[in-house]
Amino acid sequence: MVSIKLDRVTKRFGKVTAVNEVSLEIVDKEFMALLGPSGSGKSTILYLIAGIYKPTSGRIFFGDKDVTELPPKERNVGLVFQNWALYPHMKVYDNIAFPLRLKKMPENYIRKKVIEVAKMLHIDHLLDRYPYQLSGGQQQRVAIARALVKEPLVLLLDEPLSNLDALLRIYVRAELKKLQKRLGITTIYVTHDQAEALAMADRIAVINEGKILQAGDPETVYNKPSCKFVGSFLGNPPMNFVEANLEYSGDTAYMIIGENKVNVPRQYTEIVNKLRPDKIIMGFRPEDTILVRNENSVNGRICLYGEVYAVEPLGREYIVTISINAKLIKAIVPRDQVFISGEKVVVCPLEEKIVLFDAKTEKAIELLI
Amino acid sequence: MSLKDVEVRARRTEVIIALAIILATSPIIIGFSLIILSSFSKSMVTNFDPSSFHPTLENWINLLQGRSAAVGGLREDILKYTVNTAVVALGVSLVVTLVGTMSGYAISRMNFRYRKQFLLLILLLHAFPGSVLIVGVYFIYRLMSPIAMGSITTFSFFYVIIARASLEIPMAIWLMKGFFDLIPWEVEWAALIDGASRLTIWRKVMLPLVKPGVAAILLFGFLAGWQDLIYVRTFLAEKTLATFIEYNLGTLEFAEMPLVAAAATLYLLPTIIFFVTSQQLLLRVSLAGLKR
Repeated sequence: MVSIKLDRVTKRFGKVTAVNEVSLEIVDKEFMALLGPSGSGKSTILYLIAGIYKPTSGRIFFGDKDVTELPPKERNVGLVFQNWALYPHMKVYDNIAFPLRLKKMPENYIRKKVIEVAKMLHIDHLLDRYPYQLSGGQQQRVAIARALVKEPLVLLLDEPLSNLDALLRIYVRAELKKLQKRLGITTIYVTHDQAEALAMADRIAVINEGKILQAGDPETVYNKPSCKFVGSFLGNPPMNFVEANLEYSGDTAYMIIGENKVNVPRQYTEIVNKLRPDKIIMGFRPEDTILVRNENSVNGRICLYGEVYAVEPLGREYIVTISINAKLIKAIVPRDQVFISGEKVVVCPLEEKIVLFDAKTEKAIELLI
Repeated sequence: MSLKDVEVRARRTEVIIALAIILATSPIIIGFSLIILSSFSKSMVTNFDPSSFHPTLENWINLLQGRSAAVGGLREDILKYTVNTAVVALGVSLVVTLVGTMSGYAISRMNFRYRKQFLLLILLLHAFPGSVLIVGVYFIYRLMSPIAMGSITTFSFFYVIIARASLEIPMAIWLMKGFFDLIPWEVEWAALIDGASRLTIWRKVMLPLVKPGVAAILLFGFLAGWQDLIYVRTFLAEKTLATFIEYNLGTLEFAEMPLVAAAATLYLLPTIIFFVTSQQLLLRVSLAGLKR
């Protein structure tokens, strides 16, 4: 339907900068997730696109058209709020018909359109009820129907699933993704739930403190975080971080982690040799971590000695927390491997999955070249 | 609608509280009952003496026929006074509601310079009793009153309604602001995105959601207009029920008390009816579909 472009958009509320020089492009028909903790400015970006807020500086484009100064009703966007914001005094039918009535559409066209959208979302049997007579999931569908009925160019979703219970959320997640693909509507989805973003989006933009830290497809954002924050925000449990001092002997660099002295991961040797930092942060995901009792049983080059701190059974697998030099890291192990608290273990992250960050800026070190 | 409550109080405490409430309200209830009783009696029922009650409908007949005892042949048109009272009351009620809902919305939802100071100023205005302002209000009346005496009656109605309403408006604004504050911003944003203008939002989305508040200020405005004596007495070129009663008591040398009691009962009626019937309305606040 339309592509969206934010060009160095800044929004200040008094002295607080909610959105700071954000540039972002969302291509036509794309499902883009804005992911960040609460207060990161992700909802503000959504409201800027909707036209509820005007940017302090910067421009917003829909396709080639500059919409920065346009009021919401001239932008033709559909917005679903976190609390759904249905009109409590109107029946479901009137809720969905409201945008069309404001456009002064003929009543028989409205009827046709409302029923069509209601059928698509399986709420056509609820049309003469009031919002308070519906369950959370049904209210959410009504809100989506109201956003879609006017055939918007862009669908904006502001944490629409966070008021649903956990099981329903997983079900609706798939439904919503399918609906978006079928309608082929450009969609921006704001969430603080990394699992939702990973599951649904074509691309994810990770936002913190009003800035976009990384934008990319879920694979890249998950496996190649551009900074420590992105690594710590995605994944459950999140990425492990271990600080390491570097030692050089000729062209070979070693990482010193407490009493462990290990090689620098192969993919990083060149970069490290070039930059020669004396301190870095090593990041690796819990599921990319092998836990053994004896170093010889694994042929990894990077192994750290630690002690089991706690074991959490999760049914499908176990999460083992290990203390290395009084720093805690987590590993996911299959349930047939049993570890006990206090046991000495060897932690071996998969070498090719390790990510190194600069200790000072906390950015991925390949970005420093 | 079932009313829920937590049941944390001991039964004995509840009984004591109930007794205290009955005790506190009894002077008012007894006073009202005596007036209503007297209006059906030949002489006033006083001193809790049942023997002073001589049942008759004469007072009501006299009242409705407009015979006020002392003024020989002069007939008082009670029906007209009732209509006058109602006109003033409805006028005040409408003005208060219109101004209250619109300014309440603006103050609750719009950001403008000196908003806070304005709110405080309104509160300050509410602190002034109407009788203190009456001299000033009278000067404005003199300045504005038309030269042609024919239209003075119509003008005086307008003037009383506006003047009396402005005493109630500060409270109404605060009350409506409170109601509008309760409605989540998202509802308004949703309507903005659906393509509504600010005025459409106010009319079609916000007003229906603050119905209990609107009902409350309609009611309080009506009662303020209905009960007012001093403004009506000073400015209105006609009599209302309140000034009629006051005239009977104050101006006439001999007041027919049971007749006055009947007029007082008639005068009290809307107040009692409104409070009894609107209780449920004032309690009903439905904001489903709006998780906060």
